[in-house]
Amino acid sequence: MTTYHLRVNGRDHAVDTDPDTPLLYVLRNDLQMNGAKFGCGLGQCGACTVTMGGDAVMSCLVPVSVVGSRDVGTVEGLGTAGKPGMLQQAFIDEQAAQCGYCIAGMMMRAQSLLAKNPKPTDAEITKHMMPNLCRCGTHMRILRAVRRASNAMANQPAGAKA
Amino acid sequence: MNRAARKRRSRRRSVVLALLVLVLLAAWAIMWRPAIDPQAQAPAFDAATVERGRNLAAVGTCAACHTVDPTRPFAGGRALATPFGTVYSTNITPDARTGIGGWSEAAFTRALREGVSRDGRLLYPAFPYDHYTRLAQDDIRAMYAYFMTRPALDAPAPPNDMRFPFGFRPLVAFWNILYLKREPWRPDPKQNAEWNRGAYLADVLSHCGACHTPRTKLGGTDFDRTLDGGEAEGWYVPALNAKSPSPVPWTREHLAAYLRTGIAPDHAAAGGPMQAVVENLRLADPKDVEAMATYIHSFLAQAPGRQARASQPGGMPAPQPDDPDLARMRTGYEVYAGACARCHDTGREETSGAALQLQKAVALYDPDPRSLVHIVRQGISPPDGEPARWMPAFGDILTHDQTTALVAYLRRYGAGQPQWEHLDDQVRKAEQQP
Repeated sequence: MTTYHLRVNGRDHAVDTDPDTPLLYVLRNDLQMNGAKFGCGLGQCGACTVTMGGDAVMSCLVPVSVVGSRDVGTVEGLGTAGKPGMLQQAFIDEQAAQCGYCIAGMMMRAQSLLAKNPKPTDAEITKHMMPNLCRCGTHMRILRAVRRASNAMANQPAGAKA
Repeated sequence: MNRAARKRRSRRRSVVLALLVLVLLAAWAIMWRPAIDPQAQAPAFDAATVERGRNLAAVGTCAACHTVDPTRPFAGGRALATPFGTVYSTNITPDARTGIGGWSEAAFTRALREGVSRDGRLLYPAFPYDHYTRLAQDDIRAMYAYFMTRPALDAPAPPNDMRFPFGFRPLVAFWNILYLKREPWRPDPKQNAEWNRGAYLADVLSHCGACHTPRTKLGGTDFDRTLDGGEAEGWYVPALNAKSPSPVPWTREHLAAYLRTGIAPDHAAAGGPMQAVVENLRLADPKDVEAMATYIHSFLAQAPGRQARASQPGGMPAPQPDDPDLARMRTGYEVYAGACARCHDTGREETSGAALQLQKAVALYDPDPRSLVHIVRQGISPPDGEPARWMPAFGDILTHDQTTALVAYLRRYGAGQPQWEHLDDQVRKAEQQP
């Protein structure tokens, strides 16, 4: 067991765990942040996607020992049920979920795109979202939701963020 | 100055001038190629010829460079970075304005044999006409029939971005003098028909040597080192002869499976530029791909295997306590154990899809770390809409130091080979490559 200091959604946490514990397990089991989902555990599906240092990563593949000082972002950081963030609102508006299991991962992957490229083309959105799978087949709605979020952010007064 | 001296001088000047004119005329004769008049309409083709052309185009992996968007086959536009600049592939659909719609069979043949566009411009050897030059005319005709019967797409090629002075195309004429050997292909009478079929397809049409044979400083195929291993798009391309780095000896069956599916079970999976090759070969006549495997394997069979290490039972070891590079090896091992072992190590989860044990992975035994670094960073993902093996990308998960440590650890404890030189720089270079 080693103590790891993690910064998640802007807050610092200390966690005692083994170095090869996946970040996903730390988030869910130690920090009780259940937004990121366990899908395949092998980096094939994307349900566990979070951001790390601004990049979308599959947290089941990230041993806690490699995180270091990089900021981790999860869907809990985007907003709350009562006050959803802009990206979350766009997914609600497009009704871009069926069973919803993949959606937290989808939103975090989209978040990493919009943070770096606020006005992506449709082709850029599709390419960026490719690693994340949705077994219900709501991909077209998901792509529309990302487009809607990008448009909403562009119309937002300066300073406001998702 | 006296009159005689002035006369001598003026005579010398005219001789120099005449020589200069002669040199310019010779250069012009070497560099200039006439345009071939555009044809108004392509002739009709019979279905059997078109189908033969389809198979040949698949073996030739034309789509690897000429197709970017699978919904717009052969429309070109793919960037190919070379040491001389970035060349974009062109539209080879029969569109009259932006494709080869106006090209007669004679113009198409000249492009393949001599590297000259219909309008007389010299093509860059990124288009492997130095291989195609030995194609049988029948095969050229069949491919012409195939391309002329594809849907015409309007797609102008993006302008090339060449380094000075390579933007001046006529210079290619001098490259051609050095490297374009316009001789017909001849079978080797000592070999059987299948081997010879494979030799023709691999050497001429599939142009394996364009990547698997090293190039000279001027970018020509170095025929003295045929299949000795080269490079493509920043990847090391393995040798296919006695110099093969593969730790597990290739069998003909492994190679045939690899070429047809991208996977040789328990041995290798196609990654990087080879993925596009395999995507094409899977559409080709299996007999032709088998023939290529037979031919290439006759060279690979000369390679000494390193099976001893590759077949060692058990997982990857922890670093030895007396390792001179212990701190880095520990980091590398920690990354391996946390990120790679779940799929790659013995006792791995059944759902990992039988990922390769890394002691068997060719990339660990390459003469440089480029391919391994790329695979770690980019993973292996199938082209849009195609079925293939998937390995997740670790480029955003691992920091520079973690990637370097992992690669160093795999080299030392996976392959048991001396450490790669300039590993740090190679990782940095890969990070900068888009």
